[in-house]
Amino acid sequence: MTQPSRRDFLKLVRAGLLYLSGALAIGGLLRFLDYDAHPAPKTEFDLGLASDFPLGSRTLLADPPAVLLHTQSGFSALSLVCTHLGCAVEPSADGFACPCHGSRFDAAGGVLRGPAQKSLPALRVELTADGRLLLHTD
Amino acid sequence: MRRLLAFASFLLLLALLFVWLWESRQPEAIELIPVISGQPEYCLTCHADLPEISASHPIKTFGCVSCHGGERLALDADLAHSSMRGGANPSDLSVVEASCGGSACHSGSEADQRDHIQRVTTSIQSTYAGAIASIRYTFGAQPSLTPIFGIYAVTDEDSKTGVASLLAFDPSRETNPSIKKFAENCLTCHINAAPREGEAYARQTGCAACHSIGEHKLSTAIPYTQCNACHNRGNYDLRAMTFVERADHPTKRVEDYYQPIAQFTRCEYTLDCIDCHTRAEAMGDGDLHANQKDIQYTQCKTCHGTLTELPLTKTLTDPNDIAFRMAQLNPIVNLQLGDTILVTETGEPLWNTRVLPDGTYEMIGKATSQYFAFRPVMGSGCTQNGADQSSAYCHECHAVER
Repeated sequence: MTQPSRRDFLKLVRAGLLYLSGALAIGGLLRFLDYDAHPAPKTEFDLGLASDFPLGSRTLLADPPAVLLHTQSGFSALSLVCTHLGCAVEPSADGFACPCHGSRFDAAGGVLRGPAQKSLPALRVELTADGRLLLHTD
Repeated sequence: MRRLLAFASFLLLLALLFVWLWESRQPEAIELIPVISGQPEYCLTCHADLPEISASHPIKTFGCVSCHGGERLALDADLAHSSMRGGANPSDLSVVEASCGGSACHSGSEADQRDHIQRVTTSIQSTYAGAIASIRYTFGAQPSLTPIFGIYAVTDEDSKTGVASLLAFDPSRETNPSIKKFAENCLTCHINAAPREGEAYARQTGCAACHSIGEHKLSTAIPYTQCNACHNRGNYDLRAMTFVERADHPTKRVEDYYQPIAQFTRCEYTLDCIDCHTRAEAMGDGDLHANQKDIQYTQCKTCHGTLTELPLTKTLTDPNDIAFRMAQLNPIVNLQLGDTILVTETGEPLWNTRVLPDGTYEMIGKATSQYFAFRPVMGSGCTQNGADQSSAYCHECHAVER
């Protein structure tokens, strides 16, 4: 086996640097192009197995702010995002209260007191074939 | 050609190394996507230690940019701050509509009492229209006390006072030296004007002048010390036509007030200003006024009544009554439907009061949460003439020694 000449070695280093810089440049470019300053908000949330939410349960969810109900009619959910400016409402004696500006909602989400004008919206709950619950906020 | 390619490759690698080093020295970006905008912002990368500004403006809902402006994606401080509204004070009246406005926020309708910005920008606290008119009238520059000028030009499209607009006061067009002196010394005293330099004049502008009571903290529980930042700075010497800054630093509250000959009852130096003076008096009622006296109307009788009349009361039956909103913002009292509170002559709720079963009253200090019991004048030993209701008459008997 012949030893590579000094010239061959330098050629190899040069080619290596060339390919490396090209790969890094393409990587940087892809990273730049891949950056999304306006990511679409998540609209589907996996809540886990439906069996974890027994009949009659009322579960407060933190993300997204919502309450999941399991009644004889099945699963349903109510958004806990205040329809005034978007604060997360909290459970209260008569339903839900917004800690930011004092809006009050009954247990079904109807407005009891402003400044909110609209009821808390119902959210769609989907039961998948493998027994999991998906909550949709869109 | 090959040499050139190798050189370019070397330069590119060097540049990439530099970028990698620069990025590794940057703080790790903290992203926040506030509910109200749904757009990511990176202000918390440097400002995560700031306290929540108020319970009504949680950062998860509002973020920073919806109020402050700025470049939400920038990590470089200069760039991030380059387009902020009002510098560090987005409530400065020059930018307040963009920062705090919106029909669901602070430029709503008069009917839903969310017209804060309209009320403040037309208020005597901002325009200074009464003082300007008074001085110009006194020195013969205008024929009556009806205001013509404000610190800035403003229009009230729905004027109920006869004053529909004000022109911007321009001292350079005045010829009387006393008016010029007044302009030089006094125009900086109102909340639309930047204060004079010096610790004695330190205050903020716009909404923050009253509502900012600490670092990054907005509140409706405004202590008297905040009011004193403007209303206790000294006195105007009419002989010299100059403002005389007070030099002392009083520690007793009854002595904290600037007029040496003024008298005060115990309420006036024990309560905070906002315990008696209403939001319309402090922030304006949406109309342009000619004088402070046109808007400031609370008197002793508002809470105490007269010999022949009890103070006005109201039982809360409407869940949307503004009394509940005010109690929500400053939760010193748990107001309930059915509670009876005092109201002013114009119907503004004194939501921090309640009528007790024995016919006496109770007030809870808005800034102190202290309870104060008080009685109506009716049935007391008071012999005051019912028509004499200015404070000077009450001070005759009830003023404290200073």
